[in-house]
Amino acid sequence: MSEKDKKSIEEESKSCITRRSIIKGLIGTAGVGVFAGLTLPFGTIKNTSGKKKRQKIAKGDKLVFAVGDKANQIIKVDDLPLHKGTLAYPKGKEEHHNLILLFHSPVNNFQEPTKMDFITKNGFAAYSAICTHMGCTVEWYPHKQFSFDFPHLFCPCHQSVFDIFHGAKVLAGPAPRPLPQLPIMISDNIIVAAGDFNGPIGPQPGGK
Amino acid sequence: MYKWLNERLDLERFKEKYLSKVFPVHPTYFFGEIALFSFVILVLTGVYLLFSYTPSSQLITVNGKKLPMAYHSILVINSQPFGLIVRYVHHWAAHLMIAALMLHMARVFFSGAFKKPREINWVIGMVLFTLAILAGFTGYSLPFDALSTVATGIGFEIANSIPYIGNAIAKFVFAGTFPSPGSIPRLYMYHIFLVPLLLLATIGIHMVIMVKQKHTQPKENKEITKGTKILGIPMYPQQISLMIFVFLFTTSVLFFLASVLPVHNVEFFGPPTLQTPMVKPDWYLLWIFGIIKLIPGSWNIPLPGGVVINPEVIGGLIIPSIIMGFVTVAPFLSKSKEAVHYWEPLEHKPVASSIGMAIIVMLVALSITGYQAELNIPLWVCRIFVLTLPTVTFLIALSLTKKGKA
Repeated sequence: MSEKDKKSIEEESKSCITRRSIIKGLIGTAGVGVFAGLTLPFGTIKNTSGKKKRQKIAKGDKLVFAVGDKANQIIKVDDLPLHKGTLAYPKGKEEHHNLILLFHSPVNNFQEPTKMDFITKNGFAAYSAICTHMGCTVEWYPHKQFSFDFPHLFCPCHQSVFDIFHGAKVLAGPAPRPLPQLPIMISDNIIVAAGDFNGPIGPQPGGK
Repeated sequence: MYKWLNERLDLERFKEKYLSKVFPVHPTYFFGEIALFSFVILVLTGVYLLFSYTPSSQLITVNGKKLPMAYHSILVINSQPFGLIVRYVHHWAAHLMIAALMLHMARVFFSGAFKKPREINWVIGMVLFTLAILAGFTGYSLPFDALSTVATGIGFEIANSIPYIGNAIAKFVFAGTFPSPGSIPRLYMYHIFLVPLLLLATIGIHMVIMVKQKHTQPKENKEITKGTKILGIPMYPQQISLMIFVFLFTTSVLFFLASVLPVHNVEFFGPPTLQTPMVKPDWYLLWIFGIIKLIPGSWNIPLPGGVVINPEVIGGLIIPSIIMGFVTVAPFLSKSKEAVHYWEPLEHKPVASSIGMAIIVMLVALSITGYQAELNIPLWVCRIFVLTLPTVTFLIALSLTKKGKA
């Protein structure tokens, strides 16, 4: 075969469709199809919905103990002496994101940015108990801890510390926002909500 | 019997080809084997646990108490004659596998074996390591006690905090907002099927490439063999005897640890409650926990659409990924283009060795930060240490290794 023939054959094979290129194309198409067939179903998986939308806390919702011997009982003013705190729920709306940390402290210690009209005259205040960092449950911590020798709200997961007298602002730790405050009032010697939390509860998806 | 099999399977040829593979001898070569044997023990003990475990967070009433089914099934396992010790061996084997992998990585790194021509196996090794950590993470979610629900919940929140797509990803991975009824079955599937399957495949590829490329050897072997052959013992019978010894020894150590040092006592933590117990992740994730604690809450990088890159994402994902990614691409950052077949002394690569030591010091400093509150060290001290100690280590190591070269 002369040099010229070789060249012309090569050129011909470039311009026309060869058997090899057809097979390659078919395998490629089949490959894409099979890959799509095997992966697309994953995109349509239905996830069991864990939670419905949170029921908002409304004015007049009574607070009940969330833990302890008196769990599910309505919290009376006398149940919580000075310097005590507890986890509570709004009655009938006992879901995780409605978890409340209710505490009783000397009323004169509260200062801005605490919403002063959200606390009661005798020093009851309530905040969301869901840490704004990673959603762990914040504790009422009346003891000395680190350099804080006064009561504070404490998250056991990453040791964030919230200031109970200054609107639960973050004193230490990685929490990005203060805990949302819950307006409360006293009616007939029991503690009731006066509305919903004043901010989004817990960590926010997508870093919002 | 052998004759019968040989006539059909040509065992002689197999023996010649594979059982005569030469293994260089050095104690540090056993780290990889210990990791492999830990995996074998994990599979064996795991099968035992599967016979009794119920992958469901649904509540059932047992003796008047409402308990999640998964939690209750762990109590059942604990009450079986050998249940508790098999569970503890499973847990200890997971710790040992990850520890052995870390030591194995350190040996491969500091001896220069990660460089050309073994870049591929280094990257595969990093994938294997990540999978082992994922197996550990999905594993400790399964008992569904107070500790594991909090730990897994934090994993969910880290994924959830990724800008834009985080919520979709977290819900896909955890089958809805954790803990939803689908979460435990989903995590169970990862733990007993998906992750071990990928681990098995990765281990297989890692082994085949290792056999194909052969081991690196201690430096002194070069003088003996004049750089032509591999000096060591053959697979059969010497290396196999050693492997059997290592396997038996590993297993007995695990049983010893399991009998004297109980881990993850679910009854101590109890079923999930509203209150969060003081939780710490397992030691191999403590460094990420340290980073999360160190990032100030004010670090928010705004993105379009009112979304921010928040401290959780920076501390829980971005920085750990940068560190892991940096280690993964280490062989490609190396400037030397010569193939490494013998252990390199540290002074042959002063920068790489010093960076390696600095990273180890940083991981230790970060892990200590995880216990900052308990040790009563203020956060700002930790921040300074985490930044300065690795730098100082790097500089000292660099001057020492450079001196060694001169």
